[in-house]
Amino acid sequence: MRAARAIPVALLAFVTYIVFSGSTSGYDLVTGLLVSVVVGALFANVTIERPSKLLSPKRWYWALRYALRYFIVDETKCHIDVAKRILSPRMPVNPGIVVVPFDVESDYAMTAIANSITNTPGTVVVEVDKKNKVFYVHWIDVASIEPREAKKGISETFEYYSKKVFD
Amino acid sequence: MKRVVSLAVLVTIVLGMSLLLALSGQSFYPSENLRWLAIVYLNTTYNPYLPDFTVRSPESVTAIVWDYRGLDTLYETTVFYLAIIAGLALGRGVKRLNQKPTDESGLSPIVKTVTKITGPMILAVAASIGLHGHLTPGGGFQGGATAAVVPVVFIVVFSSFYLLWKGVSSQRMLTLRSAGLIGIGLTSISLFLAGLLLGLPSYVFQNIAKAGSPLSMPYDVHGALLSGTLWWFNLFEFLAVSSGFTLAFIILMTPEAEEKW
Repeated sequence: MRAARAIPVALLAFVTYIVFSGSTSGYDLVTGLLVSVVVGALFANVTIERPSKLLSPKRWYWALRYALRYFIVDETKCHIDVAKRILSPRMPVNPGIVVVPFDVESDYAMTAIANSITNTPGTVVVEVDKKNKVFYVHWIDVASIEPREAKKGISETFEYYSKKVFD
Repeated sequence: MKRVVSLAVLVTIVLGMSLLLALSGQSFYPSENLRWLAIVYLNTTYNPYLPDFTVRSPESVTAIVWDYRGLDTLYETTVFYLAIIAGLALGRGVKRLNQKPTDESGLSPIVKTVTKITGPMILAVAASIGLHGHLTPGGGFQGGATAAVVPVVFIVVFSSFYLLWKGVSSQRMLTLRSAGLIGIGLTSISLFLAGLLLGLPSYVFQNIAKAGSPLSMPYDVHGALLSGTLWWFNLFEFLAVSSGFTLAFIILMTPEAEEKW
């Protein structure tokens, strides 16, 4: 259903429009509504495949939990770790690119994991192989080049949460 | 050696900071002594007490662009339109490739997924820039140029065939562009035509009533400021510019097919 796929996109466009305009006057609400209907119709077949996922409160709960955990715990840990490496006079880095497998189905879940890896300091996804389901990740301190070990060190928590939110 | 390096770094930082401090005091501040022309514009751009002179738009730049010197902007738009037509003429008779974009074409699936979300967001921001042109800095051209970021990003991220495959063809963009330009033309003569019909004196490119010509575009709808023709000009310019740029990008970035016709 094109209309059902258009609604979430229209909602996204409406929120963006209002936030960017910085006002909720009648003019903004009316023009925002018209704009978001047009944008929703244009992107309905591009942005979303299964809109019913958006109606699941469980997914929203896990998304919130993931966001809180990611920004408070994971980000802080990685920042402290990299800051230590930068400030230490011995410069304890052991950089390299490792193979990190992932086990999720949807593109959104895969993107969430990849962006979570890249957004934490110390690890960057440099390439993704969708067919073999692996990321190539540049790691500031390679603990192991064994894919399963590397996954444990880099993306296991991200995958656990992303799967519950998007898959 | 290490000490010399750290000393050099430290000295550079201190000198750089002091240079910044010394110069920041002399940075440019706009003078309070405005030229008389600026005073005229600022006093009339939104001034309900001067109903014969005001544009009823708090954004003086848009007021100047589409009202005080509206004719000039109309011809600028025409020049841009002709440039696009010239580009089309150069590529005439060129058959564009139109194939199904594959999963392999374009950038990684991560970038594709993110672009699927940012695309509608860019368009919403562009529309906001365009539709608030008479209230805040921005306007039809700026909004349209922002909207044109979307087709470029999609061409780069997905495939050069992506737009054509989705039905965004150069013909359709040309139609949209022409509709925008016709809208601009109609807006510019709307009050003149109304004057002819009502038997009242009015001018081409008139927006708000002037001395001797009582006709005004509706500038206020239930308390929401539209600034008369400015809103319509921005809307149509948004259409014309976004579709014009999209057209140019399609011509520039879609490879041509082997055979000719």
